[in-house]
Amino acid sequence: MKKYTLWFIYGFLVKWFLKIFVGVKFANARFLLEEEQFIIVANHNSHLDTMTLMASLPPSIIHKVRPVAAADHFGKSKFQERFSNFFINALLIQRKRDKEHPENDPIHKMIRALDDSYSLILFPEGTRGEPEKEQALKPGIALVLSQRPHIKYVPAYLKGMGKAMPKGDNLIVPFISSLSFGRPTKIESTDVAEILKQIEADFEKLKNA
Amino acid sequence: MENILHSGIFQNNDLLIVIALIFGILTFATLLFFIIGKIKPNANLKELKARTKSWWVMASVFIAATIFNTKISYVAIAFLSFVAFRELYSILGFRESDRRAIFWAFLSIPIQYYLAYIGWYGAFIIFIPVEMFLLLPLRLVLKGDTAGITKSMGVMHWTLMLTVFGISHMAYLLSLPELKGFHAGGRGLLLFLVFLTEINDVMQFTWGKLLGKRKIIPKVSPNKTWEGFIGGMICTTGIGYLLAFLTPLSTGQVLFVSFMVAFAGFTGDVVMSSVKRDIGVKDTGSIIPGHGGILDRIDSLAYTAPVFFHLVYFMAY
Repeated sequence: MKKYTLWFIYGFLVKWFLKIFVGVKFANARFLLEEEQFIIVANHNSHLDTMTLMASLPPSIIHKVRPVAAADHFGKSKFQERFSNFFINALLIQRKRDKEHPENDPIHKMIRALDDSYSLILFPEGTRGEPEKEQALKPGIALVLSQRPHIKYVPAYLKGMGKAMPKGDNLIVPFISSLSFGRPTKIESTDVAEILKQIEADFEKLKNA
Repeated sequence: MENILHSGIFQNNDLLIVIALIFGILTFATLLFFIIGKIKPNANLKELKARTKSWWVMASVFIAATIFNTKISYVAIAFLSFVAFRELYSILGFRESDRRAIFWAFLSIPIQYYLAYIGWYGAFIIFIPVEMFLLLPLRLVLKGDTAGITKSMGVMHWTLMLTVFGISHMAYLLSLPELKGFHAGGRGLLLFLVFLTEINDVMQFTWGKLLGKRKIIPKVSPNKTWEGFIGGMICTTGIGYLLAFLTPLSTGQVLFVSFMVAFAGFTGDVVMSSVKRDIGVKDTGSIIPGHGGILDRIDSLAYTAPVFFHLVYFMAY
């Protein structure tokens, strides 16, 4: 049920809205079907980012991919939490680490989702920030990858979304934007700083492509 | 269904002749490039072939959208304006504080096309040049960000004029009243305008490639030559004369109107070229393979549509 709901919402409604009204150019994401499990790592400027990434996913795996979202933003109330869970399939995490209660710890939660054979969508910049400006990557993604080094990450780059719908403005103004993917890659080392450097280099490549 | 397809198109020989002609030309071009490719395998025909392929799609979409039902035509042309407007200001860029005003500018598209649809000429003709011209600066002022506001006012309205006001004249052709003894009607005029504008682009391009030597405005568009310009003008005027049965005009009038369409088409083309040169892009987008963006294709239409409309409106209505 959830699979078809998600497919209908993203693969159909959201996708055509983004294509026809906003003017998003989608990259083909069928290559994801060849991967058993992956973490999509994308830059973050707008609420449209998650929508676009979800809409680009092949329908047959859409229910197995969970965007990681901040609980303080998307799970403010019980209703919002349910809504995010059902309609965005979101994995809600708190922003701060909590080593004493592993069930609340964001890193632990992400790893558990991976072990439950889910794939993830992660925005390592954390917040959306200023439109069309990159921010330093947070180490969470590296901590997850270093503990599950066999899982590939897929760099994704979104251009223009921050113009179409920037942080702090809920009005969508059509703007030609695009989504591009890099290749699924394994991490080269398990060192956190090295992993972040590797991902940053991937972003830089996609940005200038 | 009866109602949707009730357009009299299959009784209207004038329109059918031109549609057959369009597909005839496309078939000819496709075969020509195919044969040249076989004879001279080294010839670089990739772009020409991509262009021709795109022409097939564009011609089919245009004919499907305009011929069967006029209501669909208004929506289709309005959508064309929408895409062109989005494309142009996406490459021009804007300040974050312009977003509300841009949204207002977007809302003017359905209104402008609704005015064309109900045929309210007086409102149609002033809505964007006067009302939006006065209103958009107000929205910008209310936002209160004055750094760069003059440029925003200018760019926003210019973009609106080019992509919405100019193009919407195509739609108003369909709302013109019926004339006694003129069977092709608004759709005939629309077909005449679009066909002539596009053939003018092709002719200027072809003559420029064949004979082009003396450049007209090398700083703006190095591919535009006097030979292409004059060859295009003569051919377009001639073709306009041959297609006079789509218009209610006399021979002298149709020659003059065709000549003006050719000239306006050239102007629209170079104006858009200069803008692209200013921003430093080659094409306005990549939606149409071989052509670039929507605007790369309809830049000349934005100029020919109002010129053609008002000449015909003055002469025949």
